[in-house]
Amino acid sequence: MRTLRFLISARHLCARGRGIPAGQALGTGNNAQKQVTCCLHTSPPPGPPQATSSAGSVTPYEDVFQREQRNKASFVEVLDLYCNRDVRRRGHVEIIEAALRWMTEFGVEKDLEVYNKLLDVFPKEVFVPQNYIQRMFNHYPRQQECAIRVLEQMENYGITPNKQTCFLLLQIFGARSHPIRKYQRMMYWFPRFKHTNPFPVPAELPADPVELSRMCLHRIANDLDSRVAVYQMPYTEKCDDGKEREHLHVVGIQSPSQVSLLAAHNPSTPVYVEGPFPLWLRKTCVYYYILRADPDPMRKEEEIDNERSLYYPLSLDLELDRDLGDDDSFDVDDVEEGPVFAMCMAGSGDELLLGKWIRGLQETNPILGQTPVVFRLNSGPQELSVPQEKEAEPKGELEDDEGEREPERRRMEQ
Amino acid sequence: MFGLQRVCGRAAQLARVWAGPAGSVLTPKYFSSHPRRLAYAKELFLGTIRKEEVFPYPEITKEELDEINQLVAPVEKFFNEEVDSKLIDQNAKIPPETLDGLKNLGLFGMQIPEEYGGLGLSNTMYARLGEITSLDGAIAVTLAAHQAIGLKGILIAGNDEQKAKYLPKLASGEHIAAFCLTEPGSGSDAASIQTRATLTPDGKHFLLNGSKIWISNGGLADIFTVFARTEVVDKDGATKDKISAFIVERAFGGVTHGKPEDKLGIRGSNTCELHFENTKVPVENVIGEVGGGFKVAMNILNSGRFSMGSASAGMIKKLIEMTGDYACTRKQFNKRLSDFQLIQEKFALMAEKAFVMESMAYLTAGMMDRPGLPDCSVEAAMVKVFSSEGAWLCVSEALQILGGLGYMKDYPYERFLRDSRILLIFEGTNEILRMYIALTGMQHAGRILTGKIKEMKKGNVGVALEMFTKKLRDSLGRKVNLGLTGNEGVVHPSLEESAKKLEENVYYFGNTVESLLYRFGKTIVEEQLALKRVADVLINLYAMTAVISRASRSISIGLRNHDHEVLLANMFCSEAYFKNNYTLAQLGKHSPENQDDSIRKIAAHVLEKRGYTCSHPLDRTF
Repeated sequence: MRTLRFLISARHLCARGRGIPAGQALGTGNNAQKQVTCCLHTSPPPGPPQATSSAGSVTPYEDVFQREQRNKASFVEVLDLYCNRDVRRRGHVEIIEAALRWMTEFGVEKDLEVYNKLLDVFPKEVFVPQNYIQRMFNHYPRQQECAIRVLEQMENYGITPNKQTCFLLLQIFGARSHPIRKYQRMMYWFPRFKHTNPFPVPAELPADPVELSRMCLHRIANDLDSRVAVYQMPYTEKCDDGKEREHLHVVGIQSPSQVSLLAAHNPSTPVYVEGPFPLWLRKTCVYYYILRADPDPMRKEEEIDNERSLYYPLSLDLELDRDLGDDDSFDVDDVEEGPVFAMCMAGSGDELLLGKWIRGLQETNPILGQTPVVFRLNSGPQELSVPQEKEAEPKGELEDDEGEREPERRRMEQ
Repeated sequence: MFGLQRVCGRAAQLARVWAGPAGSVLTPKYFSSHPRRLAYAKELFLGTIRKEEVFPYPEITKEELDEINQLVAPVEKFFNEEVDSKLIDQNAKIPPETLDGLKNLGLFGMQIPEEYGGLGLSNTMYARLGEITSLDGAIAVTLAAHQAIGLKGILIAGNDEQKAKYLPKLASGEHIAAFCLTEPGSGSDAASIQTRATLTPDGKHFLLNGSKIWISNGGLADIFTVFARTEVVDKDGATKDKISAFIVERAFGGVTHGKPEDKLGIRGSNTCELHFENTKVPVENVIGEVGGGFKVAMNILNSGRFSMGSASAGMIKKLIEMTGDYACTRKQFNKRLSDFQLIQEKFALMAEKAFVMESMAYLTAGMMDRPGLPDCSVEAAMVKVFSSEGAWLCVSEALQILGGLGYMKDYPYERFLRDSRILLIFEGTNEILRMYIALTGMQHAGRILTGKIKEMKKGNVGVALEMFTKKLRDSLGRKVNLGLTGNEGVVHPSLEESAKKLEENVYYFGNTVESLLYRFGKTIVEEQLALKRVADVLINLYAMTAVISRASRSISIGLRNHDHEVLLANMFCSEAYFKNNYTLAQLGKHSPENQDDSIRKIAAHVLEKRGYTCSHPLDRTF
């Protein structure tokens, strides 16, 4: 409300100054405000943020970042060089914007210290409004917007500012400036959003494929009782003919309740190996396979044996059912799904490799020896996989022959 | 419209007039066909008080009283002079001379009929002796494991040959008995019993194989009541596994036991694992019939519990004496401890609890001693729950009176505390017994009310109207009169207030049970939080009945200090009345309002994560 009043009074002031009727100035809305800003400041009006980064124009300070060695130390070195060169810090907006663009190249886009260093480039106390008129209007808008861009980039990378950031912004722009507002908003939301994901993904994924699979399987299964078993460790074997044969990893997970479910499975009906299904971990995609069966239509509810509990009745012999008012169950269309008996992650969607998993499972689930296992594998995961080569799924080697396979293959294993 | 209402009102009045005399005449007749089948507690579920069951308070004859007093005196002397509880606790063993003393007193055969060499005590007299034997927890448990469960199978389900063969030696204490039910994988679930008895080809023996754990007297006993799976051929010819009970002698061979378990309390009692390896049990040693073990086990467990009430009361009475001495001599700020109100409160609490326990225990024992086959299992379970929790609370308060001294091993209070903790666990944990209490009553009430509730659900106008008028009358402040006071009353006028409170609670309890059945039907089994409240109310109602009945008798026949009893009874009834009202109000609400929803959600979260997941209060996000 107060700001609105200020604005109106400012328009009056400005209209009087330029001889334009106040009503007209009001009617033009935003443009009028821009004009106000223009006539109050000597500096040129701020262009759109992309103006400096447009590909066509030659942007200053790009060359100082063209270095061989790109790491945090060299990045900071550039900034220090600039700061020490000139006490007036001429062109600081340009160097900050250039630095923002180069941050990913130097791998410092997630480093709060570097962002603070970047804000430190601004000259201190010059942009702090000195009187109410300056405070009312966008004082040094280019600088303020530049600082906001720094904060925005922090926001995009999920970097929470700290006290140091706040001190710098206060020193540079003063309290109630736009960057401080931005800082306050960030500090309002970021802590609240920090733990919204109940299943946080670690920032650094393990490099070892077995460890990664272990983590992913626990993540999917989410059952504290389930046990991970490594059916095959990845290793390379030298064959007689000099060729190297690579053995890929097979890691599976199964919980005790799944073991008992599988033990109760009717061996005359097949179980299916299905997959690959994608699992995204931040920017990495991994694939898993499941062993499942169709829902058993013959399965009947377990009858309550009255001669079971020694101390109290397990059921009442009454003909009364639950009243509607206390029936809290959701009325949804239940889609009967078959049980999932186990899951695994393997180095490739190769039937031979998955066969090793099934053979490994047989040790704890002897019933698998008598049950037909049908492989229903989709064509490999390569379409979906992201070009993240460092990830643990070395599927690349098998891409070719997997592509030739039919989308759905069946094989009976007796 | 008004006319219709008036007519209905008239009809309801008429109905009431007719129901009055007819009800009181008809109901006893109806029940007279099974005079002792019906227990008091189950009827409370219907909102009625069968006052003839509990009033007057059961008595024993003068001769019986003299007899029991003659028995009590030497036992008391023995426990005071020859039993060194501290030593028993320290060495985790009852010395043989103490055991011999107990045997000489005949305490190993208290309930065995005289013809088999026992004392042949009634339940009431057994409870009386239990008050004294409970002064040492280890001895009490040893005796209880021997006769309350160990040999009970032979006593209640054995045939004459079995009785003649085993009971005399068990009564004299020459043989000690143990009850073997619990297994590593089976606590209260009979289906997971793994011990198996297979018939030998000649059909004369069973071969017993398996292990049992936590068997009281396991290392001392010579005779075991063992429960094992046997194959039984069904009516339709299919073989099925069923539980059978066997009398197994150690002399049959193949019986080994592990070393005694090291326990928190009742350390002197012997608890250990038992292993049976191809133990040859003759077929005539099956208790009851083959495959009938489940019923035997249930009957044994149900019949053994009532004595815990008097035992706990005996222990608390002793504690009151001991702490009383201390409180009246210790001085702080030139005042004795007994002058401080917060200390006084503890004594009042202990006296109240002991009084209630005693009343409940002897009322139940008296009901069980009546001719016929009274089914007092619900009452016995209530006695067990109330007294075990009361005992734990009182021992804790007694220890508190002594402050730091109570915590020291030099004083017996910490031993009492450790010993009394087992009361809440064994012979059916209190949680399980609460389910038993509530569900047994619900089943009984459900059988009778099903028809009415079905009519109501169908939308029968007559039944609905009846309900409506009843609700209306209740809301207008109805005076509940179930016949405890007034002309036909059985309660002494000085307890009239309490009796009124009991009647009101019983009436609304009946209504609540009906609405619970209406709401949940047979799925009430899954509503354990509601059932717990039902059980709590019922326990309070039974306790109120017991104290009113007892105090009425005391005041009427002029027992010493009956005014004190009246005071205790009135205090307990007021407390219980408020608790009941609160619980009943909670029962009338739906789960979001009475916190059940929150309880379940919190527990589900904690159990899913298997831990406490709140962030530390010192944690930060930035």
